[in-house]
Amino acid sequence: MAQPDPEAAAKAEFAAPKTRSTTDQIILSIIQVWAGVFLAILILVFVISIPLVSGSSVSFLTVRNSQNILVAITPILLLGLGQTFVIISGGIDLSVGWVMSFASVISALALREAYNAGLALPLAVVVGFGTAVIGSGFVGFLNGVIIAKLKVPPFIVTLGMSFIVRGAALLMSENTTVIGLPRGVRDYGNESLLYFIRGEGGGFYFFTKPEISGEMLRRMDRIISYPVLVTVIVVAISIFVLRRTKFGRHTYAIGGNREAAVRAGVPVDRHIIKLYMLSAATAGIAGFLSMLRFTAGSAVIGDPLLLSSIAAVIIGGVSLFGGSGSLVGTVIGSLIIAVLTTGLVMLNVQSFWQFIVVGAVVILAVLIDQSRDMIKNKIETR
Amino acid sequence: MRKLTKLGAVAALTVALSSGAALSQEMDGITIGFLPGVVDPFYQVMELGVNAAAAELGITVITQIPPTWGVEVQTPILDAMVARGDIDYLVIAPTDKDQMVGPLQNALEAGIKIITVDTFLGDGDYADGPVTFPLSYIGSDNVEGGRISARGLAKAIGGEGKVYINSTNPNVSSVEGRAIGFNEVMDNEYPDIEVIGLDFNLDDMNTAVQQTAATLERVPDLAGVFGTNVFSAQGAGTAVVNAGLGGAVQVVAYDATKFAIEQLREGVVSLVLAQKPFDMGYLAVSFAAADAAGVTSLPVRVETGFAIIDIDNVDDPEVARFIYQVPE
Amino acid sequence: MQDDPILSIRNLTKKFGGLTAVDDFSLDVFPGEVVALLGDNGAGKSTVIKCVSGVHTPSAGAISFEGEVVHFSRPIDARTKGIETIYQDLALANNLDVPGNVFLGREVEKRYLGGLIRPLDNKFMLSETQQALSTLHVEIPSLQVPIETLSGGQRQAVAIARAVYWEARLMIMDEPTNNLGVPEQKKVLELINKLRERGVPVILISHTLPEVFAVSDRLVVMHRGRKVTEKKVSQTNSEEVVQYMVGALDDTRQTAPAE
Ligand SMILES: Nc1ncnc2c1ncn2[C@@H]1O[C@H](COP(=O)(O)OP(=O)(O)O)[C@@H](O)[C@H]1O
Ligand SMILES: [Mg+2]
Repeated sequence: MAQPDPEAAAKAEFAAPKTRSTTDQIILSIIQVWAGVFLAILILVFVISIPLVSGSSVSFLTVRNSQNILVAITPILLLGLGQTFVIISGGIDLSVGWVMSFASVISALALREAYNAGLALPLAVVVGFGTAVIGSGFVGFLNGVIIAKLKVPPFIVTLGMSFIVRGAALLMSENTTVIGLPRGVRDYGNESLLYFIRGEGGGFYFFTKPEISGEMLRRMDRIISYPVLVTVIVVAISIFVLRRTKFGRHTYAIGGNREAAVRAGVPVDRHIIKLYMLSAATAGIAGFLSMLRFTAGSAVIGDPLLLSSIAAVIIGGVSLFGGSGSLVGTVIGSLIIAVLTTGLVMLNVQSFWQFIVVGAVVILAVLIDQSRDMIKNKIETR
Repeated sequence: MRKLTKLGAVAALTVALSSGAALSQEMDGITIGFLPGVVDPFYQVMELGVNAAAAELGITVITQIPPTWGVEVQTPILDAMVARGDIDYLVIAPTDKDQMVGPLQNALEAGIKIITVDTFLGDGDYADGPVTFPLSYIGSDNVEGGRISARGLAKAIGGEGKVYINSTNPNVSSVEGRAIGFNEVMDNEYPDIEVIGLDFNLDDMNTAVQQTAATLERVPDLAGVFGTNVFSAQGAGTAVVNAGLGGAVQVVAYDATKFAIEQLREGVVSLVLAQKPFDMGYLAVSFAAADAAGVTSLPVRVETGFAIIDIDNVDDPEVARFIYQVPE
Repeated sequence: MQDDPILSIRNLTKKFGGLTAVDDFSLDVFPGEVVALLGDNGAGKSTVIKCVSGVHTPSAGAISFEGEVVHFSRPIDARTKGIETIYQDLALANNLDVPGNVFLGREVEKRYLGGLIRPLDNKFMLSETQQALSTLHVEIPSLQVPIETLSGGQRQAVAIARAVYWEARLMIMDEPTNNLGVPEQKKVLELINKLRERGVPVILISHTLPEVFAVSDRLVVMHRGRKVTEKKVSQTNSEEVVQYMVGALDDTRQTAPAE
């Protein structure tokens, strides 16, 4: 009796692997890439309609416009970046907007003090960067510890933290704006890696802005401004980390089944703390870059960006329940938002329409996410 | 609306000051509450004016500054000030011309006389308008500020070309008035200037940059931008400079904060319009003192006027004194 | 069963506030045997194995593993010692693929630039997973899809393969055939037999008596947190075991309790 019938056991097989009907398969693959398709359609619509509406000399697809859009997405993308990690892990970080403001203020103060104390400008900029990252990283550390160790829901912790950080930013800034930054800071936030002058007497210039004036200025394209460069580097590293490393794998595992991750020996609490630190630090970089760009620390600069960045993450297909999503999606989501703003202004359409479209796309994104689950469940319960 | 000149204000001020010394004994009892709209350099300079007048006249001032702009933030502070029971006059910048009427009426019924600075209640006409209970409205006229900005910008671009407005939010009386005045002048006085549009950046500098950059794509021969507040102008100016058009496209900024002046020196903005918040604060306290002394001919509207600052006159002390100098 | 026990639970008690989930429970498990832990819902079975696997800390009593007293405060402590648990709720990350689950928490990395860049060695983990599954004669068509697309039995097999790959010294399975179709249940039982052949002892929690009698050597019945009997399967039968499970029989009492 203790021995099972080996014959019977040997014959036993697993249920047939799940198969999907072709229609479901097609729907699923469309769902996979819809945001990218939507972005492509959006660009196409603007490319066609803008010359019709605003005159044939106006074109959406210019080098300068593409650079404008890239510059415009940097803060949304940087905020969305850490947020993507956090949401994949099943959390949420509502403090990133104000952390960005906070970082902008403290990095401006640090840069100014360092410069006034006699440090060379490049070093003072580095001091500002370090202050932004460390200061906001500390805020993220507090978020993470309270969430992971004290088990307070992330929504509450980061909401509360956003108020605290907001207060700190307003108190430390001199009436919302830290000014008096050294001359030359502007260049770090606004100059580019590459310049190209179109037409006569033109050409490429690396690193140094060509000394030109007058009409030639209008023919100059700035390609990859420094904030864009920094953002591209940060995004590239993050994509690698999320897709290819243990850190990324654990992020997905915690979002997929936190209990399973705990039992498998993933240091879940420590990982969650790191995630909120990452999220705050990328917001800190966004704050630092905007400080350079506007040559001032602003205690309110990041506030309006929080919701846009979350919208970008959701449009990009990151599930708010955690466990799935990608950074490429977030990049596409950010692009959709920025392309909309620029395109609508170029069409001379009241820019508030942007909100209506973004709102609709966010809801569409969630609907699509749900229908994906529905199709999967359909197979599950077949 | 009855137009009152600066002369009227000066007259009233003289009354207040000349009686100041004689009245200072009686003044001992007077307490003034000062409740501006939000923490910012503009109101801080106004506070300096309030304190200067109060010191000269021996008046106690209780100042409360809301951390953010809004009726919901200002009203509880107002109620708390009323509840103190020791305030005789309230110098306030109402954060909404309609919604703040009720709370201020309550203050009035508690025996507090109201003077509004910078912003107004109703339509700002306390003689014949829908709201008449405040003593006076002391502030620069935003519509007039828009007109002056328009003339300044028109001059800078040589009287012709396309211009664009970047503003914060719709339905805010201050920035709305500025845009109205700006459009009015461009329509009536400058036939060769076309206002090609207005965008709202919702107080987001990043959006202001993006909108202006996109507008520069749409209208490559844009000649000028009017930023209805410092940050709109700063965002617009950043886009202009980054498009390589610094100096070629003129940018006007409303309000002479130190940040705006810094941006003027950096070449991001080309013109800065200064209001006179110090005057507003100083006059408001003087008016309260005069009223307490029994003066009955105080003007119900005082327009404090503007100064235009550009890179050529920014170092001229006559002009530089209008920069909002906030103590660190 | 002359060997020393691999696992020895002595007078284990676990309280949740006022509730005593496990009451003075003792059990020995010897190498190469399959012990079934039986009892009605709420009898305390899961709590016993959670104490052994480090999810809970006992309120009283001692647990010895391979001769030494152990105090696990986290599941990873138990896993490090070689106690692998397959939970009722599976404890797999459904959004990860098969190697992702097998190596969860013990991922293998490549190292570049002196360890500065450490991408996952997915190729290695995939081939190891393939091997582990094939030693168990488990076939899963595609290993690189999220395991939520696998059948319940296949997921169970992934969990077992994970335990085997990490050289479990003791395997605990909490209702492993729950929610599985009959053919899949058989496959899992076959895997349990494979574990026994490899000398890995198994504690099996199950409600399905035929299954218990098919694979177990010994069975222990719990009732209201207490062990009410312990028998070789050859010395008992389903009817008797049910009597113990519902509390009608109790070896620790002289007389049957009044209902
Ligand atoms: N984490 C817990 N907190 C409080 N009570 C628990 C907990 N886990 C189990 N219990 C209780 O302990 C008793 C035994 O549960 P359990 O060990 O899950 O039983 P079984 O696995 O035999 O069905 C039940 O009454 C259950 O409600
Ligand atoms: Mg159980």
